[in-house]
Amino acid sequence: MSSSGVETESPDLICELDNVQGMVDALTSVRWKRHQDAVLELSEHGIVLIVEDTGCLQAKVYLQRELFVRYEYSAHGRPRFGVSLGLFVDCLNTFCIPGHSGTIEFQYPGPDMQLLLKSTDSLSSCTYAEIRTRIPDTISWDYNFEPAGSTPISFTVKSSALKEAIDDLEWPGSSIQITLQPNPPSVTFKGEGHGDLQIDFMYYANMDLLTAFNCDQTVSHSYKYKFLRATTSNIPSSVIKDNRGSKLTIGRGGMLKVQHLVSVARPSNSHTHVDSVSYQPPSRIAYIEFFVKPQVDEETAYDS
Amino acid sequence: MKFKAFLTDHGINLLEKRFLQALDKMGKVCHLYLTRDHAIFLHNLLNGDGIQSIAQFQKEALFEDYRISSQNDDRIAFTIDLSLLHRALRSILTIYTEFGGSHSSDTASNRLQIKLVKKLPPHSSQPMPFLTFETKGYKSAVIQDVPISKPLSRADVLELQAALDMAQDLPQTLVQVPDMNQLQSFVDRMKHVGDVLNVSITKYGDLHLQISTSLITLGAEFRKLKVIGEQARVPSGDENLTAQTRTRRAIDKGDAMSVQVSVKHFFKSIQCHLAKPDCAFYGIAQQGSCLTVVFQFFVPGTRQTDKSISLHCRLPVLIDSGTN
Repeated sequence: MSSSGVETESPDLICELDNVQGMVDALTSVRWKRHQDAVLELSEHGIVLIVEDTGCLQAKVYLQRELFVRYEYSAHGRPRFGVSLGLFVDCLNTFCIPGHSGTIEFQYPGPDMQLLLKSTDSLSSCTYAEIRTRIPDTISWDYNFEPAGSTPISFTVKSSALKEAIDDLEWPGSSIQITLQPNPPSVTFKGEGHGDLQIDFMYYANMDLLTAFNCDQTVSHSYKYKFLRATTSNIPSSVIKDNRGSKLTIGRGGMLKVQHLVSVARPSNSHTHVDSVSYQPPSRIAYIEFFVKPQVDEETAYDS
Repeated sequence: MKFKAFLTDHGINLLEKRFLQALDKMGKVCHLYLTRDHAIFLHNLLNGDGIQSIAQFQKEALFEDYRISSQNDDRIAFTIDLSLLHRALRSILTIYTEFGGSHSSDTASNRLQIKLVKKLPPHSSQPMPFLTFETKGYKSAVIQDVPISKPLSRADVLELQAALDMAQDLPQTLVQVPDMNQLQSFVDRMKHVGDVLNVSITKYGDLHLQISTSLITLGAEFRKLKVIGEQARVPSGDENLTAQTRTRRAIDKGDAMSVQVSVKHFFKSIQCHLAKPDCAFYGIAQQGSCLTVVFQFFVPGTRQTDKSISLHCRLPVLIDSGTN
């Protein structure tokens, strides 16, 4: 990846973060199974972590450089490397011991292409880690999300409500149909399997829940329940308590994009969750995006 | 073979609120070894490769009117299920405290007696040994029988005593853990990453923990800790080195030792702080034969060691270090 000439000089990236818990929260949100390979992509804009499942589900966590208290990027091109997501999160977790709110330093690459982590919040103790990296797969990961029409078809819903709805749909399971219709403006989740369950979000009935709605034509697509579930099931409860909105957009061909926001702001000395509901600079937010491919079985193909 | 005593309020508090829950984490079943002067809870001393723990109380720390007699130099030992013991004690306390413990005016009539008995259990023709608690409340008297093993034979008691004597050796260098709670949450998280923990202790007062697998190396170094026993001066120019290099140099100079133990055992040893010790010290026994943790208890309200209580654990070392 990085040429040998660069190695002897400065590493591709040295950065420091003062809220490891925020990063753990963000990465945990995309941890939907035990063993997941993740690809990290470094650039002058920040770090992107990408995970994927069976060509049908992809998640990206954007950690912009503004989240970091120090961000020194000196690579050419965009270095990419693979790590085990579970191991990375478990490792980061050991850096956020309560009452131990230190700064953590990341460096890539180490002498043996490792990702190096180090926390030195006091002279008398330090925590360090070296994570072995892999060469990532060469296939393009991009899901090529394109808007479905002239106006994007999207809605924004409170994260907790979305999670609750998707959790409830576990009972019918298997396949979930999401329908947006402009008149009356509403979103419908419908599960058919062991039984039928339909959950409606009516825009005018409950504007606290459904905070934004954009749709000029009725669209309807089905998604595999397990992939839909992955988009909300692992969001940490602290993030659900924040209860920002999650934005869902349906693109061309029914590709579903789910976006969440996770605060990576340094917790103030009072309690975190109370404060984080109030205003926080947008720069201290990690963006999380899921892309879910629609199911293309005979029925839906026939519909369109 | 007879044993009969009354648990003091201090003894009840020590066992019920502190030690039994800590010892239960070490393992469900332990030996209770009673001598003329001591009551000792022992884990894994005779058998196996588990973590050894030794909680020793002078009889005055727990009991009054302590009477013991046996043909084996007044020593009795048996195995007991700690969770049953804890449950029996908790249950009997609900009655015992009706009188406000032994602080009531009617002191003599309300005491918590503990004794060894043989009884015929229901549906059985063979009498079985029990450790029995007995007390009374306003309207009721309660007896709780905790089943125990048959008392150990003379040979087994001797073996237990020999193992206990062996386990009293202290490491040459002990370092004090700065903050048990912090160490506990750290190791709790660390144990997701690997199974084998490298523990290095230097005579300068450094404690270095590291898990290393083919995918990750994760470690923490705590420095400038209080040292008991053999010390050495911190070499100059050591400050800017990495934790790994510092430890390696210290080992090369003979100023440090390093062993590998199971992360699970290490975590268990930290859980001993449920017994609310005032300090904890880690040290490596001679020739790296085990990792020892010694807990220190102060006389309440002082900084003086309470010599009537002692607790320490010995963690078995994993052989064949160097390979993961």
